Amino acid sequence: METALTKVKSEEYGGELIQLVSFNLEKEEYGINVLMVREIIRMLNITRVPNTPHYVEGVINLRGKVIPIINLRKKFDLMDSEYDKRTRIMVMEVVGELMGFIVDEVSEVIRISEKEIQPPPPAVSSGIEQECMAGVINQADRLLVLLDLERMFSADERRLFSNVG
Amino acid sequence: MAIDCEDQELLEGFLAETTELLEKLDDDLIALEKSPEDAELMNRIFRSIHTVKGASSFLGFDMLVKVTHKTEDVLNRLRKGELFLNPEIMDVILEAVDLVKTLVADIKGGDIVERDLEGTISKLIPFLSENATEATVLAPSAAQKEKSATAPPAPESAAQPAPEAAPQEAGAPAAAATAPVVQPKPQQVKEPQKPAPKGEDLADNSTVRVDVKRLDDLMNQVGELVLERNRMIQLHSDYQTGLDPTGFGDDFGKLSKRLNFVTSELQMQVLKMRMLPVEKVFKKFPRIVRNLARDLGKEVDLVIIGEETELDRSVVDEIGDPLIHLIRNALDHGLETPDERLASGKDRTGTVVLSAAHEGNQIVISIKDNGRGIDPEKISKKALEKGLVTEEALASMGNREILDLLFLPGFSTKEQTTDLSGRGVGMDVVRTNIRKLNGIIEIKNDVGHGTEFILKLPLTLAIIQSLLVEVEKEVYSIPLASVIETMRVSKSEFHMIGGQEVLKLRDSVLPLLRLQQTFSCQEVYTDRDTCYVVIVGVAEKRIGLIVTRLLGQQEVAIKSLGKFLANLPGIGGSTIMGDGRVALIVDPIGLIGGGAA
Repeated sequence: METALTKVKSEEYGGELIQLVSFNLEKEEYGINVLMVREIIRMLNITRVPNTPHYVEGVINLRGKVIPIINLRKKFDLMDSEYDKRTRIMVMEVVGELMGFIVDEVSEVIRISEKEIQPPPPAVSSGIEQECMAGVINQADRLLVLLDLERMFSADERRLFSNVG
Repeated sequence: MAIDCEDQELLEGFLAETTELLEKLDDDLIALEKSPEDAELMNRIFRSIHTVKGASSFLGFDMLVKVTHKTEDVLNRLRKGELFLNPEIMDVILEAVDLVKTLVADIKGGDIVERDLEGTISKLIPFLSENATEATVLAPSAAQKEKSATAPPAPESAAQPAPEAAPQEAGAPAAAATAPVVQPKPQQVKEPQKPAPKGEDLADNSTVRVDVKRLDDLMNQVGELVLERNRMIQLHSDYQTGLDPTGFGDDFGKLSKRLNFVTSELQMQVLKMRMLPVEKVFKKFPRIVRNLARDLGKEVDLVIIGEETELDRSVVDEIGDPLIHLIRNALDHGLETPDERLASGKDRTGTVVLSAAHEGNQIVISIKDNGRGIDPEKISKKALEKGLVTEEALASMGNREILDLLFLPGFSTKEQTTDLSGRGVGMDVVRTNIRKLNGIIEIKNDVGHGTEFILKLPLTLAIIQSLLVEVEKEVYSIPLASVIETMRVSKSEFHMIGGQEVLKLRDSVLPLLRLQQTFSCQEVYTDRDTCYVVIVGVAEKRIGLIVTRLLGQQEVAIKSLGKFLANLPGIGGSTIMGDGRVALIVDPIGLIGGGAA
């Protein structure tokens, strides 16, 4: 069973084309592998959870499952902004757990070929963001940052998450 | 080597059946040792091993076949009366069964590890030769038992030579019995990725067998629910088409009543299906007690009461480890050696009673021994030595509080950690585990006559009664089990004592905790001068939680916050309210214990 799964996966990855969901944060465009994204939902009531890192917005009820919500703006140390009607929560599976990420706007699904991905420029990008930058996609009229959310939380942060206090 | 099995279903069937057989086997073997004459029991054991052998040879698990084959042969000789059962043979058979468990666990883990079979098999072989009857003694006499338990452990790697040496044999199995997991061959493969699963882990509850009748009842209820849903859809469409809008309120009221009835029935039934007899956990104890008793040179009778008591599987899964530790504790620290017992005028054989019973909405599990009891003097001395308490603090403590010191991390009354008490968890971990289950642990102590550890656990972890409260516009849920009373007070009644807000409650002084501060909620109500105090308590400790207002009682289903938000101080989980929003569940034990312990 497991082998069948990995085969499908490797076929998807190994193929020439990769599908990315692109989204915006503070006028920058980011891309994330479509296979990571479970669903994209509109903003809904978030219950604040005390004593968590500042970028943990709280938890939501996703059809009976309670999942944590991360504010990507806060996580990347960008200016905080009001939620509007384009604000979305991208629900993704990160290291085996469902998590929601608040982004400014989800734009489209794009196909790129693997060759288009360049390694991130050294030292240009700042701090935390660099951690989970898997690459840069340079297309004629746009520049996309490819994110790898598995690398988003450092070992320290993971410990913090599960052992606050 | 990964498992290459064409038919996954066949493999799963094999694993489920084997696991079940092996679980039962331990129990049966211990029972057999007590009544070696029981032919039916003997046959059942033989059949179990035979079944495992047959199935594994069919599926091509050669290592399993090898071990089971030899074990079966020994059992066969016992069955035919060519060999008489004694503790030494039982040790070897148990070791072989452990090896089988390890091998099955490997298969279950999906990775067959090359294991050392020879060590165990070579211990079985002596019992297969013709003169083996002479080498072993007919009935297990007490004297021999002791000898074997105190004999110096033979080095494990040395494969036992052929049958000539009976006394040497007596030592080896005893030593081997302490190590239920057979060491894999000296690292030919890189070890690290996966620690070998222990034999004990076999008894997991990943599959359940459900009574068909319960399943049918459930199906009936689901049918009812579907009917009510249809009724609801009908009602909605009637309402939309404007048909008789006047009767809508009535109809809707009736519908919600029926829906309420059906769902609570359904809830009961599903809860019942999740119930497992505590026997699932208890049945590994005879084996553990036997091994421990032999290792420690003590004589122990284990009495198990109420093993049919049912509790939720979520609880069953969690209580195993704490219980093992408490039992070890009772045998290692509690019970005296036979000589000591005789000297103090007791029977040679100590008794450990493991019992389970329902008590209201709780299950009470008790581990009671008739050993020497816990000496408070000794505990206080030890705690001082380790710097866990100050002398002043100790002076003001009652006996009960002194016993509570046992649960401090880093505490051990034993002069040196033995092989037994050193491994596994400490008492502090036991308490943490019990707390995680929203349970409490109490000690009853009678110096010179024994100790009893009492665990009180909730029946289920899935659904609880709770009190919904509002804290500055945020809703929190407090488990009703720990709520003692609620009251409305004016803020002017609060007093400050040494930086701690307190409330005079009748004739006692109650420490207060502002939930708004603990949870750093934004203050919205600045002009209110009254608030509500929810008094929560665990064991003897009481604390008042200050909340803005009470919203009412509700039965809530507990949802986990996932591993990212586990272990938040004061938060035990979350639940979903009627309007779909998430409310956090307060963990009163964390709030009370967090500051003090």
